[in-house]
Amino acid sequence: MEVFLPIAQVFVNPIEILFLSAIVGVLSGLFGVGGGFLMTPFLIFLGVPPAYAVANEANNILATSVSGSTTHYLKNTLDYKMGLMIVIGGTIGTSLGIYTFTYFKGIGKIDTVISLAYMYILAIIGTLMLVESLGEIDKAKKNLLIKKKLHVHYWIHGLPFRMRFPKSKLYESAFTPIIIGLLVGFIAAIMGIGGAFILVPAMIYIIKMPTKLVPGTSLFVTIFVSVIVTFLHSFNYGSIDLMLVFMLVIGSIIGVQLGQKLGERIDSSGLRALLAILLLIVGIAIAYDSFFAEEIQKETVKVLNAELNFFSLFIKQFSEEMPFFYGLFSIMFAVFLGVAAAFIRRFISNFKKKMSVKS
Amino acid sequence: MGVMTDQMQFSNVKIINKLQNLKATFIKTGIFLSLAAYWGVILVGTFITFN
Repeated sequence: MEVFLPIAQVFVNPIEILFLSAIVGVLSGLFGVGGGFLMTPFLIFLGVPPAYAVANEANNILATSVSGSTTHYLKNTLDYKMGLMIVIGGTIGTSLGIYTFTYFKGIGKIDTVISLAYMYILAIIGTLMLVESLGEIDKAKKNLLIKKKLHVHYWIHGLPFRMRFPKSKLYESAFTPIIIGLLVGFIAAIMGIGGAFILVPAMIYIIKMPTKLVPGTSLFVTIFVSVIVTFLHSFNYGSIDLMLVFMLVIGSIIGVQLGQKLGERIDSSGLRALLAILLLIVGIAIAYDSFFAEEIQKETVKVLNAELNFFSLFIKQFSEEMPFFYGLFSIMFAVFLGVAAAFIRRFISNFKKKMSVKS
Repeated sequence: MGVMTDQMQFSNVKIINKLQNLKATFIKTGIFLSLAAYWGVILVGTFITFN
């Protein structure tokens, strides 16, 4: 069974998309990352043209981030002050990233830059996290109690304008989260992803936030970054396909809820090692794709408007005739689905608690 | 006789500990070798692509 995507102009199998987005959603909920660095290559492998894969995945990340961060808001595991500081840096970084993206696109080197950036960033972070988490597991096995400093101070911690972050119990320079946000925004704009897979390790290792506040705050920041990316793609290239977004959002929202439940039952040092291995696997897959494999692309199909069903025709005309409102609608659609999913999860969880108390 | 049994038990514990340490070292070496191979592929691939 295949479905035609009116904007991307390709046929896709909805079951494949739902299944893959659910798996990425589970990993997303487990590690507090947006999942774009996994789902975008998957969509390209499934035949969706890269420009459309990036844009629609950004919209999907928005929905999952809204869902995840609403759940964390309801659980009170979100540091707004820290999140807003990172968003300030992220906005500046995204603008700089978009400028750089346009430059490399102009000279025709954007594909190489994106592949290399993906590969090296994933490899560096994955290696560092794996080495550190293996060390932690080793120490835990030997029951060693090594006297550690409360915080390891890097140059970034010596910056001025120190302020208190009561929720995270930190006293740090405002520039620390802003610089991290700037870097994340820059990389996210170039690679067309939410950027949480860089943000999570940065929050743990550089800002030194409590691990329980990291997933919620990183999802909160990802909302803003993905809104900018979605707006940009929708207005500039008209590449948001609501049919694809709907499939992606449904799969990933179910997956995220499952991932968050699973995350509550797994040891955090084990989680870090798993995330590190995941990053390394994606890195090597991109390396294989860049160095050895030929580009896999499905041919786009030309379908006349008369052949489209009512819903597909409506999406196509809405996108072409009112790109501003279509972009806005795509964002509102993702936000609505995300919030609805979080509240449904809350309702089910409360219902289960009531039932267990009664019995 | 009793002394001999204690010594034997003590050496058995030592051997088990040594085997466990050896296993951990083996796993760690494997992981670090995999990481080295991983980075080798990435760096050589980049070099070949740019040439």
